[in-house]
Amino acid sequence: MKTKIYRDPVVEAYMPGVDRTLLRENLKLTPAQRLEKLVSFSSFAATLRRAGQRALRAKKR
Amino acid sequence: MRTRFDKLLPLLVNGHVEFILIGGVAGNVLGSARLTFDVDVVYDRSKANLERIAKVLKPQSPYLRGAPPGLPFVLDVPTLRNGLNFTLTTKLGDLDLLGEVVGGGGYKELLPHTFVVSAFGVKFRCVDLPTLIKLKRAAGRPKDLESIAELQTLVEEGKR
Repeated sequence: MKTKIYRDPVVEAYMPGVDRTLLRENLKLTPAQRLEKLVSFSSFAATLRRAGQRALRAKKR
Repeated sequence: MRTRFDKLLPLLVNGHVEFILIGGVAGNVLGSARLTFDVDVVYDRSKANLERIAKVLKPQSPYLRGAPPGLPFVLDVPTLRNGLNFTLTTKLGDLDLLGEVVGGGGYKELLPHTFVVSAFGVKFRCVDLPTLIKLKRAAGRPKDLESIAELQTLVEEGKR
């Protein structure tokens, strides 16, 4: 059974802002590779967050 | 704490939990470039599955996300049976266990709109792109508008 996609004009207004180059790069990957990329990015974001927290603590001292 | 997608999903699969991946991680499976922080799954409400969920999650200390510490919360079969949707923290990160989702219903209703993904050494079901768009639209959250636009762009890119 196919799910029909309704095109909402509000959503359409956001579409020119979508970076298609990122999506095209992701579509070259397998689903497993996309998830590995998510894990890697998530780890990177956590590292950055910790570094930011350390920097804020140091600034307060 | 970051969510260990690479540990949480295999934990559920290896514990034989029947679930369907939805939400931001499903978006990533489908090609989204957005970072997400939790795992959202729709789970089968059968008694056997509730037992499996309680068993695999118990060692991960599941607790209600955002709730004050010290509440007498135990994610066991009676809790799962009496509740429906649970937003949890665990030792492996944030997990949303959803018995039903707006616009998609429960596990059995969503099942025809899924496909099997192989990742992290296991196989699990993920919702398809048109249905993920439908679910996000039905959720009606302003924060999802950009995400829906990205998913609709993925539909267009897939047709190229």
